[in-house]
Amino acid sequence: MKINSSPVRPIIKFRSSERKIVDMKSYKDIEKKHSPEEIAESLVFPGPKDPDKRAEMLSAFREIRKQQKENQSEESKLISQLLQLKFLIEDYLKADSFNKDFYFGYFLKEYITRLEKKNKQFANEIDVDPTELSQIINQHRKPTEKIIYRLEIHSNRNFPAIMWFKILEKERAYELLHDKSIVNKEKNHVKQQLHFSLLT
Amino acid sequence: MELVTLNVNIKETSTGSLLEAVIEPMTPADFKVIKKSREKFDKFDWSQYRQKEVYKLRRRDNDIILGLMCLIDHTDDATDAIEIELLEVSSENIGQRKQLDLIGGCLIAFACRESFKRGHRGCVFLVPKTSLLNHYPARYGFEYIPLKTHNRPGGFMILYEPGARKLIKVYLDENQQ
Repeated sequence: MKINSSPVRPIIKFRSSERKIVDMKSYKDIEKKHSPEEIAESLVFPGPKDPDKRAEMLSAFREIRKQQKENQSEESKLISQLLQLKFLIEDYLKADSFNKDFYFGYFLKEYITRLEKKNKQFANEIDVDPTELSQIINQHRKPTEKIIYRLEIHSNRNFPAIMWFKILEKERAYELLHDKSIVNKEKNHVKQQLHFSLLT
Repeated sequence: MELVTLNVNIKETSTGSLLEAVIEPMTPADFKVIKKSREKFDKFDWSQYRQKEVYKLRRRDNDIILGLMCLIDHTDDATDAIEIELLEVSSENIGQRKQLDLIGGCLIAFACRESFKRGHRGCVFLVPKTSLLNHYPARYGFEYIPLKTHNRPGGFMILYEPGARKLIKVYLDENQQ
């Protein structure tokens, strides 16, 4: 087996005062210690570093990719788009930051759009009034629990209710932090309140 | 796009029990750590990849790095894929005497997830060594596409949507482990 020079730094020389030479392992060394199965399980080596060879490789790749895209089924495309949405939601929920564009209705609209459905058709599929659906999408009202449960069922549990609830929860937390009037407008309904703070 | 961490499970080979781990972007401090612990990552010179998109896998309860992966995001419409440029599992976790399993699989599955997330429809590729042509397909389901270029025989290992989904299910779905 010829040693591929690109992934391996043959010898890294330190200053003489350090009196040591670190030898990054060559592919031959790796092969002596591990079987090809073990290497493939745990290592990926870089492709050609030479710009011309790399350009040639990527050009060939694009041809293959073009053919694959032309032959990709509609179902496969749909699955990919829904997985993209699911992973974006998962990551958004995990992130500390809040993005005001990522409200419940935005993700719901994305779900409907990726399915290539009209709002009215989708409302019919989950037995919800189209006006109510439209108001949720446009942030004029919050979704009810029943809609969230129906979203889980409609998506065959690929977008579980808990995921939708978490989007709503993140949205509500942001609103509460930035709009004091949400709480204050209920002030007149509270007849009694504690007269001390726990941490002062 | 904000980079976030991903929780995964790796397996302790001695007990078979699952351990919580995290995949997250490398920091400049991590590269210094890797440079100092060359006995654990002795196959590649990772300092050359400082400016690139590099992820590490570590156990959730400590900072010891167990695996590294460099990705290239080919955003142009024609390529439209994630390339795994480099991947290395720490020395003590390669081969029959490895202490922890699933590290490489979790990293490759993470690349698949990123491919979906970034709109590449799960397309992930890598350039294989000739002697490993049969083993990436066997281990991770890659499809080998042979190519004859002017310079040498070669080719790619490619995962498309079905293969990428399968890896995500096997390595990233908690319910499957």
